[in-house]
Amino acid sequence: MSWNKVAVVGAGLIKMGELFEQSYEQMAAGAFSAALASVDKGLDKSAVDAVIVATQRGSLWGQEGIGGNTVPSAIGLSGVACTRVENACPSGSDAFRIGAMVVASGVHDVVLVIGVEKMRDKSTQEGLLARAAAGHPLYNRGETAPVLFAPFATRHMHEFGTTPEMLASVAVKNHHNGCLDPYAHFQSEITVEQVLASPMVCSPLRLLDCCPQTDGAAAILLTSAERAHEFTDKPVYVAGFGVATDHPYLHEKSSFVGLPATTLASGRAYDMAGVGPRDLDMAEVHDCFTITEILDIEDLGFVEKGKGGPASLEGETALDGRIPVNPSGGLLAKGHPIGATGIAQLTECWWQLREEAGERQVAIRQGFALQHNVGGRGSGVSVVNILTRNP
Amino acid sequence: MSPDEKNADAMHTDAINADATSGTAVKPVGILGVGAAAPSLRLAAKDVGAAWGSSAGRGTVAVCDADEDTLTLAWRAANAALDAAGVSPAEVSGLWWGTARPPFAEGPSHAFLATTLGLDRSVGGGLASGSPHAGMEALLAAWDALAAGHARYALVVTSDALVPGLGTAGESTTGAGAAAVVLGAIAEGSAGPSANGSSPPARLVGRATLAMPAVDRYRADGDRVTGDVYDARLFREQVFVPLLTDTGRGVAEGAATPLRAWAIADPDGKLASAVAKRLGAPLASAPVFGALGDTGSAAALLGLVHACADNATNATNTANAANTTDATGSASSGGLIGAIGYGGGRATAVVVDAARAVPGAVTVDMLGTGRQVAYAEALRARGQLEPMADPIEMGLPPGGAAFVRGNPEMLGLFGARCRDCGTISTPPSIHPTCTGCGGDHLEVVPLARRGRVETFVVNQTMPPPFQAPLPLVVIDLEDGARLMVQGSPADAADLAVGDVVTLSLRRYALERGIPVYGYKAFRVAGTGAGSGVPKGTTVGSGQDRSAREGGS
Repeated sequence: MSWNKVAVVGAGLIKMGELFEQSYEQMAAGAFSAALASVDKGLDKSAVDAVIVATQRGSLWGQEGIGGNTVPSAIGLSGVACTRVENACPSGSDAFRIGAMVVASGVHDVVLVIGVEKMRDKSTQEGLLARAAAGHPLYNRGETAPVLFAPFATRHMHEFGTTPEMLASVAVKNHHNGCLDPYAHFQSEITVEQVLASPMVCSPLRLLDCCPQTDGAAAILLTSAERAHEFTDKPVYVAGFGVATDHPYLHEKSSFVGLPATTLASGRAYDMAGVGPRDLDMAEVHDCFTITEILDIEDLGFVEKGKGGPASLEGETALDGRIPVNPSGGLLAKGHPIGATGIAQLTECWWQLREEAGERQVAIRQGFALQHNVGGRGSGVSVVNILTRNP
Repeated sequence: MSPDEKNADAMHTDAINADATSGTAVKPVGILGVGAAAPSLRLAAKDVGAAWGSSAGRGTVAVCDADEDTLTLAWRAANAALDAAGVSPAEVSGLWWGTARPPFAEGPSHAFLATTLGLDRSVGGGLASGSPHAGMEALLAAWDALAAGHARYALVVTSDALVPGLGTAGESTTGAGAAAVVLGAIAEGSAGPSANGSSPPARLVGRATLAMPAVDRYRADGDRVTGDVYDARLFREQVFVPLLTDTGRGVAEGAATPLRAWAIADPDGKLASAVAKRLGAPLASAPVFGALGDTGSAAALLGLVHACADNATNATNTANAANTTDATGSASSGGLIGAIGYGGGRATAVVVDAARAVPGAVTVDMLGTGRQVAYAEALRARGQLEPMADPIEMGLPPGGAAFVRGNPEMLGLFGARCRDCGTISTPPSIHPTCTGCGGDHLEVVPLARRGRVETFVVNQTMPPPFQAPLPLVVIDLEDGARLMVQGSPADAADLAVGDVVTLSLRRYALERGIPVYGYKAFRVAGTGAGSGVPKGTTVGSGQDRSAREGGS
């Protein structure tokens, strides 16, 4: 199937954190401004003719039934076509995928993909922890977010000898990277010893194995490759993408040492882009918990199944490693404002491919970067996007 | 058995002697098996006294953990009795449940218990409640139904987990427990209702009920706890001792031989022995009170179950039986045990003729010693000490459609088995197609109750009403189904991949006042991966679920 080539011509985000002082609308406006400001040759916002919004959890700020209309109004584009995407933790990356398809179809010229998420307007107890009460006894009552991934850590340790130190090395690396990212929620170094001494949240995951609850927003401007040079001389192109599903509940998983949705989604993205894991210069992957990054780098084909722990401990995924993973600090340090997360990760890929990432810049040799999210209760959905700077 | 056969069976009028109270030679109703259960916590009675600055209290009382109640205790005792009797749930024609405080003051208590036990939807019987006399009322009602030919097998469950008022005299004596018996009608001229055709191990041979309208322990409409603002001396001298003594004499005088022991409900650890003394036979139920406290509706049958299993009592029995045989020439008499229940101004005594060892009979020691807890923890478990913070509400209201759809599969623990590939998807209501092959040739099946830990976590961070540590366990059941349920906090420290666990009914939540029941995993001691039991099949090495289940 043929499709029009799509380019990223602008991307930006706001400083992540507990943004008690900002409304959802203010965060959206901030991210849009940052994306507009990043366009090398300038882009009049009236050129945007469609908006795809990613917001995953309106219930966290009292906007359960929110549609797609809040954002155009907030960013001064009321009247523009707008659709909201909700697809669990990959909401942002799926909004990007859908935005790319909208441009590829030729229906819209300039598309804004924007992710906005309020995670801290409600107390922790009323917010994410409240999901413990969501189900009934056959729907995993007591299941807070770490319960969705900790069983994989237990089993990964059992089958492959993965250790708490290996898990901790992921948090240490990502916090280090976060120190180099001015947009990261956390900007302080941590040590393996600190991770191992932090309180147990959901065994075997400790506090520093877990990402924080972060408010944030990120925005990307897409247009056709044909028009990209009107806006920049350094466009980044959409090379491929894939989305895949799996059974939604943990007891329906066929295995607890991998996430099949990731493997399926990345296989589709690699096929579409005509590349493989070895062609990538860096990747932004879903590290909501340390174990998740270990599963990801295995399921994405960066390392052999079972070797994710040692690879992390030995620095293969560090900024100067064989395959740098999460140079932005990842969800663990940069934060995980769910709908914004994927778009913030893609923004990092855009900076890295344009070699504008400052102190955390990785070596760009082949010109490909991969972005990945997985989530949805028992990791029932994954989205992978691959960007390239190669024309 | 098909519904038609079942109806025919129920309508079959067994020739029985309905005049059981007269103690005549023909005994119409047999006891086929018994079961008992105690909750998991124990509180030293003296700790209760100490909390109120008194030296009152002796022994221990049994206390339900936060996820136990009268229904979960009843479930355990009933399953044990059915197993002991060799009677399948489908064969039970009536469930009679006696509990002073059913889980729903008004509501589907009986339907919930019957569903969790896997009884047929058409099962008869009823719920007796309102006072601790409810246990005996359930027993007599079942007996009557069997005697009248309306039932072939009856399941009688007596259970209680009363919540005593703080600072009341009953606080240091109120315990919890359950006892169940499976009764069978004996057809005239037949060997009996046992599965193997032999005569039943025990028979119900006498009964008497007396009333004395006096207020002692009570719970008014709207009260959350049981009060007992009565004069203890007055109660002893004018109510309890005379009423139970008269009731006991009523059955003892009609019995063919002297009773060898009594099991008597006991509000305070002293009154039952006063009654037994007057009745002139040993009190066999004293150890039950000592270990569990006043078990309310369950007290009389728990005492009876203990007496049937107790070596000391049986030694006496053997001696008595020998004497009796000599005196009467009858070889049939194994010795008689009396049981007296009390509550709400009524007492009922029954006499059981235990010819042989009663299947399932256990002494109170065999019910486990439980976990000793401090007064404050006991209060918290009983819901009498609550955090100020509002508990997080369950996302799904327990009266809502998801529960109406889900209750049968949740209480009965069902899965949807694929006729094509064998995969079992749980629960059926969310699986119109098979998780293994995507096909839709599914049949609803009850799930195995035992399996092996595939993986687990221990959640330490949850809002009220949850309490850490809370294990959540993914289990591969023996039938090949995979399930994720809560585990026992008591197992949190030791749980390991490969452990064998069993599923037991627990109360998951008391949500907006409505109890929500489901199954939890409990580690079977000494069955870990390192204990010689073959390690569970591992996954992640290319094996998929259908491959695992292919061997089942």
